Amino acid sequence: MAAEIKSNTNTVRWPAGIRLPVMLTFEHQAGEGAPLFAGERPNYMVGGAIQYGARRGIWNILELLEKYRVKATFFVLGTTAEKYPETVQEAVKAGHEIAGMGYGFASIRTASEEQERENVRRSAKVLEDIAGVKICGWRCPDYRVSPKTLDILAEEGLAWDSSLLNDDLPYLFETRAKKIVEIPFTTSTADKTYVGYPYPQRGGPDGLASVWNNELDVLYQESEKAPRLMNLSLQTWATGRPATLRVLGRLLERLVGHEEFRFAQCNEVAAWPLNSTER
Amino acid sequence: MWNEKGYRKSFRWPEGVRLPIAISVHHQSEEATCPMPDGQPDPFDYSERQYGARRGAWRLLDIMGRHGVRGTWLICGATLEKYPEVSRAVQKAGHCIAGHTYAHEMMCNMPPDTETALIKKTVLVFEDLLGEHIRGWRTCFASHNTLDLLLEHSDIEWDGSMWNDDLPSLIEGHGREMLEIPFATYSDTALGVDITNPAFPPSRFSTWNANPPDFMLRGLKSAFDALYERGAERAVMMPLVVHDFITGRPFRSKVLDEFLIYAKQFEGVIFTGHDELARWARQSGEFGRE
Repeated sequence: MAAEIKSNTNTVRWPAGIRLPVMLTFEHQAGEGAPLFAGERPNYMVGGAIQYGARRGIWNILELLEKYRVKATFFVLGTTAEKYPETVQEAVKAGHEIAGMGYGFASIRTASEEQERENVRRSAKVLEDIAGVKICGWRCPDYRVSPKTLDILAEEGLAWDSSLLNDDLPYLFETRAKKIVEIPFTTSTADKTYVGYPYPQRGGPDGLASVWNNELDVLYQESEKAPRLMNLSLQTWATGRPATLRVLGRLLERLVGHEEFRFAQCNEVAAWPLNSTER
Repeated sequence: MWNEKGYRKSFRWPEGVRLPIAISVHHQSEEATCPMPDGQPDPFDYSERQYGARRGAWRLLDIMGRHGVRGTWLICGATLEKYPEVSRAVQKAGHCIAGHTYAHEMMCNMPPDTETALIKKTVLVFEDLLGEHIRGWRTCFASHNTLDLLLEHSDIEWDGSMWNDDLPSLIEGHGREMLEIPFATYSDTALGVDITNPAFPPSRFSTWNANPPDFMLRGLKSAFDALYERGAERAVMMPLVVHDFITGRPFRSKVLDEFLIYAKQFEGVIFTGHDELARWARQSGEFGRE
């Protein structure tokens, strides 16, 4: 099993000139993770609200990111890439990073090692075939990893994972194959926690704005003394909606054009700590 | 069995103390992780909570230090074993340190001998790793036996497990006494996240039932305002519960920071630990004379 390499991650040094890297990590699915009604009948209410992300949400997001010239990371479900290939191709064309998050929202927590490995290979192949990219990173779609997940990802040639939620900064795992970088995130600041569907959705767009503004305030203040990273987990089906999109737009207004903030993609961040610290 | 003596209406804190605020930091990290339907721990919930010991507790310690605020740290035995450096820093900072069960057990579901064994085991962990003989205890999910067991099998001087009163009361039994210092729901688990309640496991989309920070701050301030007003004529206290994995997140830590800035402006507001509250309550000598 993968073992965390114990180190003082506060010794991470970002490249010169960057005070606080900001990462927008979008999760792109088309309703595969929605519950079904009895008898495996589709639930057009929840399923439809999530399918929105593939039909409309991602286009709205790509337009906003283009306006602010911000590059982000998109975790794309294999089945979503198959059903909505143009959404992924357009994201690649715009310079966004594509990473894997499984095929068909399959749960891997209790899957066999063979099933889990097949899921990673199939997802990587679909994204390569459809978008022409070789993925370097991964986020487990329900964040419910198995004890073997990091080992398998490393063996399949991936450089980083972003499925854990337990830290402010990236850190390293020693796996069976090689070291892999973990770039943690949290659903505590995720759009879907406050504006998601189905319920509960507490706070709405204003509440979400107070989450993101507070997060930025505190991380910015702390980054004066120690390295910090702002990693926002976003859903194309949640942030793609006009009301939430406006909240993201306001956040980008705070960030864009200020030298000390730097929008970063996962591949880039995964390379930083490795290059910059003794571990 | 134990006997409880409540406070008199005329109960007063020491001169000049109008509203004591007792911050309880629950340092439990991943110990209360929700189970999946198959009974295995939820890896998502585990990871979100593990932030508590890795980052959250340090941030809370820093904020309290910056404000010069002393509080009570309720620490699980297992958390102390896994992350001793956090508790050592807490001890060094001079906070009141108390036990919070071994692995955040639901004592309400445990037989008395198991609960007793866990109390004793936890007390020993503090002695071994911190060299500290703890005098305080909190079980969030107390059993009918909790107070009896503490009286009979420990020398705990105050317990803070009950949710049923405004102010401390004196508990007598098994040939000794201890203070019960109750807590309330003006906490990050009510105002911020419904996660310590087993009735609210993470959603199928791996989210917690969370309120945004503007809501949380409003709740804390309104609780404070009511108690401060009431404190002009009688003893009141504000138990404020924060968890390492909840309020320790950057965006929620700002709520605590802003609340401390707000509350500190008022005269007679004192931040203190449960040990001092217990001492004041005993010194008042006002229990059970109603």
